[in-house]
Amino acid sequence: MSTDAAAGPGGRRTLRAPAWKRRRRPLLPQQWRRPMAIVGIVVIVFWLVIAVLAPLVAPYDPLAQEFARLAPPSAAHWFGTDVLGRDVLSRTLYGSRISLPLSLILVLASMVIGSVVGAIAGYFGRVVDEVIMRIADLVFAFPTIILAMIVAASLGPSLLNAVIALLVVSWPSYARVMRSLVLSARGQEYVVAGRLLGAGTVRSLGRDILPNVAAPVLVLATLDFGNAILLLSGLSFLGLGAVPPTPEWGAMVSDGVQQFSSWWLAAFPGLAIFTVVVAFNFVGDALRDALDPRTAEAVSEVSV
Amino acid sequence: MIRAHRRLAAAVVLCVGTAIVLTGCSGGGSNAGGGKTLVVDNSFDLKTSDPARAFELTGSIVDHALYETALTFKGGDVTKPVPGIMSYKESSDDKTLTLTMNGKHYFSNGDPVTVDDVVFSLKRVQGIAGNPSFLLDGVTVTKKDDKTIVLTSASANPALPSILPNPSLGIVDAKALKKHGGSTTKSDSAESYLNKTSLGSGPYMLQSYNVNTKVVFAPNPHYAGPKPAYGKVVLENVAGPTQKINVQAGSSQVALDLNADQVKGLSGGKTRVIKGASPYLIYLWFNQDAAYSGGVTDKPDFLTAIRRGIDYSKILSLAGEGATQPGGLVPSQFLGSIKADATDSHDTAAAKAALARSGYAGQTVTFSYPNDITVDGIQMETFAQALQAQWKAIGINVSLSPSPIATFLDAYRGGKLQSGIMYWGPDYPDPSDYLVFNPGEDLGLRAGWKAGADPTVTAAEHKAAAALGDDRAGAYADWQRAQNASGPFVPLVQPGQYVVTSSNITSLQLNPVWTVDLAAIK
Repeated sequence: MSTDAAAGPGGRRTLRAPAWKRRRRPLLPQQWRRPMAIVGIVVIVFWLVIAVLAPLVAPYDPLAQEFARLAPPSAAHWFGTDVLGRDVLSRTLYGSRISLPLSLILVLASMVIGSVVGAIAGYFGRVVDEVIMRIADLVFAFPTIILAMIVAASLGPSLLNAVIALLVVSWPSYARVMRSLVLSARGQEYVVAGRLLGAGTVRSLGRDILPNVAAPVLVLATLDFGNAILLLSGLSFLGLGAVPPTPEWGAMVSDGVQQFSSWWLAAFPGLAIFTVVVAFNFVGDALRDALDPRTAEAVSEVSV
Repeated sequence: MIRAHRRLAAAVVLCVGTAIVLTGCSGGGSNAGGGKTLVVDNSFDLKTSDPARAFELTGSIVDHALYETALTFKGGDVTKPVPGIMSYKESSDDKTLTLTMNGKHYFSNGDPVTVDDVVFSLKRVQGIAGNPSFLLDGVTVTKKDDKTIVLTSASANPALPSILPNPSLGIVDAKALKKHGGSTTKSDSAESYLNKTSLGSGPYMLQSYNVNTKVVFAPNPHYAGPKPAYGKVVLENVAGPTQKINVQAGSSQVALDLNADQVKGLSGGKTRVIKGASPYLIYLWFNQDAAYSGGVTDKPDFLTAIRRGIDYSKILSLAGEGATQPGGLVPSQFLGSIKADATDSHDTAAAKAALARSGYAGQTVTFSYPNDITVDGIQMETFAQALQAQWKAIGINVSLSPSPIATFLDAYRGGKLQSGIMYWGPDYPDPSDYLVFNPGEDLGLRAGWKAGADPTVTAAEHKAAAALGDDRAGAYADWQRAQNASGPFVPLVQPGQYVVTSSNITSLQLNPVWTVDLAAIK
């Protein structure tokens, strides 16, 4: 899809660049120039800026209940006000400070946990592999959101508990991918050579195997971002995540559903969720094609 | 091809035609056959139409249309029971209630209603031990002669006349029911029969019954009272938002489950909004048990600060038009209710002063509420968030703790929650139903309010329970004032209740016991 025009300036610079730089530069820059990826990056950067600058950008305190209740969008309140007379715009902007960092934590944590467990399973094989992968199968056997609901409900509603609940259900997909990658990598000659040279398990996994299998897992993580935001919002929507009066997108949509005649309550936070999720998916797709064209198919087959 | 097109066109015409005819039949209360049809939309909580087993809101609507009761209420006034099948006379000690046959009444099969039917029906409610049987706890039903029944209670039972109009105490045809498994013991097996055929003397009889979709009523040809205005009534199960669309489109004439925000813009034109106060009371509680109070909520001055820190006008605006601020725990429609006074008014200066006296040092108070139920279309969460902000303004830190109702009730019934918001729906329209909000009583214990914790309130409680006749209203008012002065319960709001009707309906009265009398809709 990438056009000559888009590749133009970069291509010229590549020609002029010293040899070491040319080798280091991966396919990435060219792939980033896909329009979808650019849109995705722009949207994500936009939301990150909003998240950082929310106190400066938001017109009102997101918790202040001082305005006319259920007022439709107007010049004073671009996104209208909610049932308690709070400014929906301010709450939507502040919502990014909850959803973005938490989904980042969730994805990173499940990636680390899933990868380590998956690597152990793949590397040691036999009983360890069987036990770990059957546990993973057990988690896969339940619909993700239902299992997360059960965990969150038993822990009590709070954002931290929602993250823990989602962690419980999201690590197996990483473990599965990691296991299969390690399984094929551990028989490679360079790994065997390392073992013969006296490398221990940790060294072998960390030095020899990890760098060669990291890319697909990173792709999976990026693609998982949008999903993480959706699941977190979903739990809050069900009253199992954010505790009021925290401005959280999912919880705001849930408020809007109660007041279906006030469309602006659910529409704007819903739009926020939509844009972020779509943006992360665009970037994830681009990253997948860029980093790992061969396993792209395999990754896309993993059910999340 | 052409033929296919023709067929399609014919089919379309046929469909449209059928649709027009159907709409014409169901909409606007048009004349169809032997009389007008009334369609009422309700979000069902129906379990059974057997009066001795039903104790749900929809069940009450259904049973009130099918069965007459010994006593009844007139319109929406529940402060004074009036004669139904029988008239009543209470003994001076309120322990004996004498019921005498009041005119002639007939079941829908033509049988006359006798004293035996009344005795059988009341004993059946007791014997089945279903949900409504507590209404007649401690009451002995005896037939005195062919015209009179005596109800005796071991202790004074001044609420009994207000309990008897409950649709669950509807009178069934004993002779006919016994043929179909009816009995006054647990072995009664007449429920399924009663869900097909009604055996009552009410204005309507059951034409068809489906617990999930709709109940259809036809007039009782032998009904003793005035003939109902509609020849056919359809009570159909429809969710709130759809009810709005139906009543707007004219496919139903009455929508029973819309909230304050949903009825906006529906008064005028083709629809009309009837507003009333709901019998539900939304209240706050603060735990008096030192183990759960956190050293805060059991301080009287803290409770004063809480009461004075609530901006009731804001709360009422959240609850919507028609909502009222109750003065005490007894809802405004009932005997003994009081108006809000200075102890329940918003005064931030007084609240701050009281808070300073209480020794409160910024501890966080956990405020619990169920987050998956609505009362009259209002979420507890909305109130909780508003209160949190209002108390923050006077310096009280509150953290909200939502949970599903099942989890919430477990902890609340165990008296383990520091504070929170909950609602109480009346079992029968008498203030004695609210005496559970006392030290050592059921609800009192949920707030860690043990017996003997508050002698003043307990004394007022005993006085109210023992009061007879015209003294009752005053005694219950005094008890509520004592509650407001030192009790852990804060009555917050009585939500509004709304019924949307099409504009051709001229008369519909809300009643806290049976919601709406289908036969009285005109």
